[in-house]
Amino acid sequence: MATTSELDRVSMIVLRYMRGPIFVLIFVYAVGITGMALIPGVDAEGNPVNMSLFHAFYFFTYTATTTGFGEIPSQFSDAQRLWAILCIYMGVVAWLYAIGSIFRLVQNPHFLLALNEHRFARTVRGLRQPFYIVCGFGDTGSLLARGLSDNWLRGVIIDIDPERIKALALRDYNLSMPGLCADPTVPRHLIDAGIRMPDCKALVILTVDEEINTRISTMARLLNPEIRILCRSSSRRHIEQLKSLGNITIINPFEIFAQLLSMAITAPRLHNFNACLVRNPDARLGEPISVPTGDWIICGYGRMGRWMYRHFVQNGIKPVIIDPKVEGIEGAARIINGHADRDSLQAAGIDHAAGVVVGTDSDHVNLSIVMCVKTLKPDAFTIVRQNSHENQVAFDAARADLVLQSSLTTARRVLKHLISPQVQIFVDYLREQGEDICELAVERLKAMIGEQPPQLWQIELDERQAGAVIERLRRDRPLTLGEMRRDPHDLEGSLPCMPISIVRDKQQIMLPADSESLRAGDRLLFCGTEQGERLLEASMNNAYTLDYLVSGEDRPRGYFFRWLDTRGRNTAIRS
Amino acid sequence: MNLERVVFGFVTILALAITYAFVMGNIEFASHHNVWMLTIAILINLVATGLKLGDRSQVGALLLASSLVVDVLLIAARVVWIIAENETDTGPGTQSLVNIISLSGGALVASFVTVVILVGDTLISRR
Repeated sequence: MATTSELDRVSMIVLRYMRGPIFVLIFVYAVGITGMALIPGVDAEGNPVNMSLFHAFYFFTYTATTTGFGEIPSQFSDAQRLWAILCIYMGVVAWLYAIGSIFRLVQNPHFLLALNEHRFARTVRGLRQPFYIVCGFGDTGSLLARGLSDNWLRGVIIDIDPERIKALALRDYNLSMPGLCADPTVPRHLIDAGIRMPDCKALVILTVDEEINTRISTMARLLNPEIRILCRSSSRRHIEQLKSLGNITIINPFEIFAQLLSMAITAPRLHNFNACLVRNPDARLGEPISVPTGDWIICGYGRMGRWMYRHFVQNGIKPVIIDPKVEGIEGAARIINGHADRDSLQAAGIDHAAGVVVGTDSDHVNLSIVMCVKTLKPDAFTIVRQNSHENQVAFDAARADLVLQSSLTTARRVLKHLISPQVQIFVDYLREQGEDICELAVERLKAMIGEQPPQLWQIELDERQAGAVIERLRRDRPLTLGEMRRDPHDLEGSLPCMPISIVRDKQQIMLPADSESLRAGDRLLFCGTEQGERLLEASMNNAYTLDYLVSGEDRPRGYFFRWLDTRGRNTAIRS
Repeated sequence: MNLERVVFGFVTILALAITYAFVMGNIEFASHHNVWMLTIAILINLVATGLKLGDRSQVGALLLASSLVVDVLLIAARVVWIIAENETDTGPGTQSLVNIISLSGGALVASFVTVVILVGDTLISRR
């Protein structure tokens, strides 16, 4: 019974419910029809006649369903009328019973659940495009679904909370996203969600419970050993457990944020560039934030505090820690046991502090600490943790310098992994190259796109995405990146799009020069404006435009003028 | 400036103009419509169709399609004229003439579409 499908379950519930009413109906029909056929009647001429079985069935059908056409085919005898009365009462009661059972069935929650699962599984089976399974549709899940939708990618969503699935049904995504209200740790539900389908590109696990996340990951790995898993986790024990599963990306929002902060301290320009690439609305290209490196205070030594502390120490900063429960941390300047309030902040030396990290798991506590810091030392750099997406307005009003919203950080990182893994490699490359290269790249980009927010997109040089380029390369006519990027309206200029990297034969060429020759199968990552993307796509798919970009002249298109052109050239060569 | 565009534009617009010259006039009087005009319109349109052959762009396909429509309609009109030529002393009878002019009117619309596409494409490319 391991492979009971949803369809079996639905039909089984229907059968079990309808068994009684169907038996009653058959019995009542049999009795009524037999009686009607046996009782003698009289025809129009007064001869005694028996009703045929067919006519008896016909009579019973319209009587039992309360349609009542009258006495057909001829006037009934009194005996027949007596039997007809019995038939009416029996038939109507039996039908009411049957219809009542149907109503009870469609209102039965178990039946509805089974029907929903069946419908969901059928929708997923019918998907013919790549999709991603998302377990957990909370703050992070809905942000991720929005991001997927913006990139025209499909998510299949499982959440245990019926309210969340109802919320999903009200969203207006570019693509429909099937949702199932079920426990994702049950293997049957993961299979329904399509974990074994070849089009399932990855499983993203974002529930709030670490234990459940680990269980889903283990189950998924057993169901499909190849599947790529992305799992949110921030507890050390669970991370160790998850790592052993293989082909799994662990998203720890606190670690990511601490790394980003570390980047903001040591490489502010790169931090700014990265923020623009992931479309952080607060970041403006070329205007990096400056994180001061004086004395720091960490309020709350939980998951966030721990990671921040570790990265501070790596950057040579010894922070003061305020927390009611910790003791004995190596490398800390000072530990103050207690809640962060006016007194403890003053004791921690807020007067000469450069910045404060507020990282408890309560938004109200965090906000009140930030307000306290703002009154004690208005120019201190504040980093605050936002736990719930709903409190956005309050955090906006608090005007902290950096806000860690773990759901947003997680969703952005998951999207980066799913959509453009090249970007992270590029950012790591820039980190190694140092700030000067990064500044050059930012300036080049800024000269191209001005004040508009940069947009990232990826193109693979294949038949579908770049037909004209492939045709050209197949005829052994070379094409360089710079030629392709020329502006069709002004051959001297180029389109507002900067090539970030080319992936070729599993190698990634960073910041390729305009003289780089293109090859079929290259995967190009561009950064630029939306208009640039559209124009570049048009050039890559129109053989005439591409030819014009390279040669600088409009070649004849029709057969006649092409013939004339070649003839003219030949004569010119001969003479 | 590009020779192909000049010749192509010339032929296309001339085809529209001549078709209009033929259609203009009262639909019932044969004396308002010159059969020579119709014949020349057909010839010019055939040349225009020939020039459009070989262009593989989307716009090229659309231009070819609309000029094929013009060819079909005008040739149909000419065939009707040949059949009805001897109906009266002055040429085709009223009913036949109405058919001929309606067909040519249809061709005029298709010709107009061709010119609109051509102008639009030229404006968009802005080279």
